[in-house]
This record gives sequence, structure tokens and C-alpha cells, in this order.
Amino acid sequence: MELAIGIILGCCALGAGMAMIAGIGPGIGEGNAVAKACEAIGRQPESRSAVTTTMLMGCAVAETTGLYALVIAILLIFLAPGRLVNILVETMNTLG
Amino acid sequence: MKKIDPTVKSETLYISAWTILLSVLMQSVFLIVGLWKLDVLFGNLISGACAVLNFFLMGITVQKALGEKYSDEKNASQLMRFSQSMRMLMQLALVATGAYFFNPVAAIIPIFFPRIAVTFRPLFNKKDIKDVSDNASDDSE
Repeated sequence: MELAIGIILGCCALGAGMAMIAGIGPGIGEGNAVAKACEAIGRQPESRSAVTTTMLMGCAVAETTGLYALVIAILLIFLAPGRLVNILVETMNTLG
Repeated sequence: MKKIDPTVKSETLYISAWTILLSVLMQSVFLIVGLWKLDVLFGNLISGACAVLNFFLMGITVQKALGEKYSDEKNASQLMRFSQSMRMLMQLALVATGAYFFNPVAAIIPIFFPRIAVTFRPLFNKKDIKDVSDNASDDSE
């Protein structure tokens, strides 16, 4: 029983860590977008305001992917272990 | 401290307004369904504040990255990546606090409110779109 609970907790922690790998993507994407925005402003300095607004909105959209990963990680850390252990205990009790 | 760009201020205000509106909507849904408790409100407050703070910090970073100090593309890119990692950690800490001590659903949903606000952005900046299309047609001529 303890072994099964340990495996569940370990897998949840491992899954949360793996989910957070998706957090790398938005960082790279936002970095590339800002680099290109710098280039655009260098070419047309008068378009700074328009580029900043577009950048902000673009970054907010790009970050959503990372937020999905964050939510999965939070669910796996805080909610999944309790539920899964309860299911395991109930199953064990049913089987006797 | 350097002055905050008016664009960043206005966009943060826009996102804040949407976050408040959607938070009220979410609280109403909890109330109607009969699941409203004080922890729902606290979870929503922590997570909503975190979402707005994240957007504001992102705006400050974009302003900094597009400024003269970081005019080099590589430096700007690195600054943005570093900022994104730090903001992600901040969100993880705050939302996890909200999810653990208060209501998990009420703590998780508000972090997507800025995304919803951005989705509805084109409805409110028709003038900007018109200006851009006018400029594009001028360029093509």
C-alpha cells in the first residue's frame, strides 16, 4: 500500500516537472518577438507606440501556453495526489 | 525610477478592467450555483491580482527591452526570457498559494482573464486597425 502511494506521489511530482518544460517555449517566443520589435523600431522609430501595443498583446497571447503548463503542474501537485490516493484506498477496501 | 510608458499604463488599465469584470461574473456564477464561500473570493483576489501584476511587469519589461539601453536585439531577447521565467515562478507561487489555502478553481481560472481580454481587444481598437490599414494602403501606393 505504502509503495503504491509512493509511486502515485512520485509520478505526480514527475508529471508536474515535465509539464513545466512547456514553460520554456513562451520565453523563447517572446524573446524572438522582442528582438524583431527592436529591429522594427530601429528602422522606424516613429512606430514605437504601435509596436509596443502589438508586442504587449502578442506576448500576452504567447504566454497562455506557459499558463496551461502551469495549471497542469499545480493540479498535479495539489489536487491529483489526494484524489488518486483516495481512489486507491477505496479500491483496496472494495477488494478487501 | 524611469517613467512608465503611457501605452503600458493604458493597456494595464484595460486588462485590469476586464479582470474585474470577469471576476464579478465568476463570483456571480459561484453564487448562482450555490458554491460561493469566502475562500472563493480570496482565491479569486489573489489570482486576479497576480494576473494583472504579471501583465504590468511584462509591459515594463517590453518597455525596457525596446528602450535605448537594450537596443541590441540579443540583449533584449535575453531580458525578455529572464523576465518570463521570473514571472512564471511568481505566478506559480501565488496561484499555488491560492489553490492550496483557498478554492483551487477560483484561484486557477482568473489567470486566463488577460487572455480573454486580449481576445476581445479588436472590438475596442477599430480606430487603430483603420489607421494601420490606411498606412498600409499609403505604402502600397
